[in-house]
Amino acid sequence: MNMRLLVLGLNILVVSILLVVYGILIGDNGLVGIALSTSIIGGVLVVYSTTPQDPSITALMSYSEILTNAIISTLEDLDLLESQICVIKRGNHALLVYSKNPCPIEVDPGVGFTSGSPYLAIPLKTLIEFSESSSETTSTLLERALTTLLIEEYSACRSVRVEEEGGFYRVYINGLIEVLKQYLEKPIDPYTLLTLMAASIALTTRCVRLVDKRIMPDSILLIIGVEHSAEKT
Amino acid sequence: MQKRLNLLITTYTLLTVISVISLYVLGEKRVDVYVSLNILAYYVSYATLRPTIINRAVRFLNIALFIVFTIIVSFRIYEVLTS
Repeated sequence: MNMRLLVLGLNILVVSILLVVYGILIGDNGLVGIALSTSIIGGVLVVYSTTPQDPSITALMSYSEILTNAIISTLEDLDLLESQICVIKRGNHALLVYSKNPCPIEVDPGVGFTSGSPYLAIPLKTLIEFSESSSETTSTLLERALTTLLIEEYSACRSVRVEEEGGFYRVYINGLIEVLKQYLEKPIDPYTLLTLMAASIALTTRCVRLVDKRIMPDSILLIIGVEHSAEKT
Repeated sequence: MQKRLNLLITTYTLLTVISVISLYVLGEKRVDVYVSLNILAYYVSYATLRPTIINRAVRFLNIALFIVFTIIVSFRIYEVLTS
């Protein structure tokens, strides 16, 4: 929230409301019109003060740059550039796992071997908490989680749509930010990472994996598969 | 993104100030004319300098201003038709 814009907008609103009252009292409709017009400007400023600011996107960019640089060199050394990506839930924590095997459950943070092939597991911090509604479908839940994270929190895109089809979730992310598009072709990109993390929270499943990623000029389609439903504790 | 938003607000404010001063100098006494020109100025600014990301509050504002503008125009058309 932009506090300066909010304070300016509120001040303009207050002054214009006083002017409206004054204009009505002295019977000058022109002044009332000017004051009402000014109050609309104040209202617009108040609304636009709620739009997300640049620092959240800058922070996401910095984080993406650091993560990408660190992970790509490790993935190259482990021959995991063409690996499967999944998020595995472990209690209150989650692990982003790169592995040749889909959804290796028994992995520890860091680098290791499972079923004869290497993996890279990175601990993830839960970025959102939200309450479930029994009347919502899983795709609606996921869409709500992604809207909270990608749009309201980071302003990373213009809209998100989720469709469920045969056990898979098709996530359409439209209106991508220019500065984040550079990461789309890399093994790790903020949209995939945030989507997998939101899916692991919203779908209450032990493992979610990226099945396919299709990049378009101003949007991205992520197809997510779900494995091993979590037991409620 | 912030630059675009600042430009939108500056343009909208300038257009509104010019229209409001012009109307007052011309002796316009109808309040709805001021309001409708203000809303038009907002939509012209928004259409040419649309922010990259808009949230729910901005969408609601756009809808609310459109409804107000529609009501004003409908009222004026009704006045013309019944006069």
